[in-house]
Amino acid sequence: MSNFFQLVYNELNKIYIRKSTWAMYGILAALIIGGAILTNSFEDLDKYENDNWREVLQEENAALEQEIAEYESDDFILEINTSEIEKNNYHIENDIQPQYGAWQYVLENAGLLSIVSLLTIIIAAGIVANEFRWGTIKLLLIRPITRTKILASKYVSVLIFALFTLLFVLIFSLIVGALFFGLEGMNPPIVIEQGAGFADVSAISHILSEYGYGMVNLIMMTTFAFMISTVFRNSSLAIGTAIFLMMAGNTIVSIFMEKPWAKYILFANTDLSQYASGGEPWVEGTSLGFSIIVLIVYFIIFQLLSWFFFNKRDVAGN
Amino acid sequence: MTEVAMELIDLKKTIGKKEIIKGLSFTINRGEVFGFIGPNGAGKTTTIRMMVGLMSITDGDVRILGNSIKQNFKKAIREVGAIVENPEMYPFMTGRQNLLHFARMIPGIDKERINEVIAVVGLEKVINQKAGKYSLGMRQRLGIAQALLHKPSILILDEPTNGLDPAGIREIRHYIRKLATEENVAVIISSHLLSEIELMCDRIGIIKNGELIATQLVNDTTPDNINLTQVTLEATPINQAIDLLKTNYEIDVVQEGNQLIFQSEKEIIPNVIKTFVKHEIAVYQVGVSKATLEDKFFDLIGENTIE
Repeated sequence: MSNFFQLVYNELNKIYIRKSTWAMYGILAALIIGGAILTNSFEDLDKYENDNWREVLQEENAALEQEIAEYESDDFILEINTSEIEKNNYHIENDIQPQYGAWQYVLENAGLLSIVSLLTIIIAAGIVANEFRWGTIKLLLIRPITRTKILASKYVSVLIFALFTLLFVLIFSLIVGALFFGLEGMNPPIVIEQGAGFADVSAISHILSEYGYGMVNLIMMTTFAFMISTVFRNSSLAIGTAIFLMMAGNTIVSIFMEKPWAKYILFANTDLSQYASGGEPWVEGTSLGFSIIVLIVYFIIFQLLSWFFFNKRDVAGN
Repeated sequence: MTEVAMELIDLKKTIGKKEIIKGLSFTINRGEVFGFIGPNGAGKTTTIRMMVGLMSITDGDVRILGNSIKQNFKKAIREVGAIVENPEMYPFMTGRQNLLHFARMIPGIDKERINEVIAVVGLEKVINQKAGKYSLGMRQRLGIAQALLHKPSILILDEPTNGLDPAGIREIRHYIRKLATEENVAVIISSHLLSEIELMCDRIGIIKNGELIATQLVNDTTPDNINLTQVTLEATPINQAIDLLKTNYEIDVVQEGNQLIFQSEKEIIPNVIKTFVKHEIAVYQVGVSKATLEDKFFDLIGENTIE
């Protein structure tokens, strides 16, 4: 078993010794700092931070209602503004002063999860294919270690990379958020929309659930890229197909929405948060249990294909 | 008592419908340097890939210290250190980082052993430079270092002198001989450089079109090979000399300028000279050359054809 840790250590070492990996973290850091600067300069963040915050909210509501009246026929504006008004009312009724701070900023950066997915896909796409490209695969496979174990160590290393990167986004966002906007407290309440209207939940649990739901898609697309990388030994192909599917996944589902098998498409099942809000699921016939089973089946298929090709292959010259 | 290090048993490889390796059987003993030679495309590298488990074996088996590479891969490969084709390393890591990387894959290799191996291949000065900046010769040395880390019983080197300068070749040759005699390692070297093989190996196996066509001791002095001695003789008058050789020794002679070339047993040369002196033929020089490995090689494989 200690042997396996050594293998994972080797793989992580190969990932983090390269400058290109650090460039990825550089990009993430720039996005987080840049986002904070933008938010800071374009939004009036202090407007609620005095004793008359209730009046500020009421004024806001009045403006929103006026907007609805102006664009009568626009359902989109009606929906957005109504939701905003309800949220403001919830703040007033439950006496929760709206605040903007580090926790709120971390929550907003859940969008960066798609960048984390992208970076993890790049790592997953290269981790097997690069060994073939460098020719070092021959030296890896002539050690007293089974191919299964080597492949497993590579997969686990990709997941650890994803975890590290995710933690980096969380912690760095919190630090940058605290520096720019201040900390709202150790675990302040955040008002969110749930199935039955608005509710206040703790910031940490809400952040964890937001990031957690995003992880589902990340893990599935990473496993997919890892499979393509192993089967075709081509990192560009793996990056290309995985990113394309990540972007086009929802469109693919929409196109085949009417088909009876639409619910079996991977992307119809990757958004587990849709079941938490309690509404109708996006694709007919899905449920939390159904989606989890579909995800597990896809996951196993991806893993089996990787494993099969990696174990079977004759390692010949390039 | 010789101990068998590696045994190939009717080893076959078929890719598609083409039979690449057509049943190789031979053994390599501990303490022996075995040269594996053949023209390009003969199947040397394919055979080596099967020896180390990089390629699946269609039929037959490879046994390493009795362990089948097919059934008992981990135990068998533990005893093998190898470079297959070019010595490729991680270009973004230093020589030492590369060695540490491979050392972590096998339990029981400490820092001391790594330093020892670095010293053996003479890379002390550049070991902390990136392997991507190494010359082919330096990479070759790093490749050998990597193969030696776990003190294998069998060392497999594919074209090990590729890219080395003459001094480097001599060093590596010296080290390979030392490994074989002092540490009882079986060394398998593939090459097409016949002169190299001759200097380094105890025995050679010649492979052509996936078949082993001969194995031969390099310093072979069996009666069979005495016939291969070639004599060059300069004497006047030349015609009388030819006649004498024909009548007294029944030897066919080829005349090249004022030189006579013939094949004979080494033992009769003194007699020939005595006879010449008796008949007052002046002998200017006598040359004896052993047929080289290269001659044997071309005798055995015919012309250099690739099918």
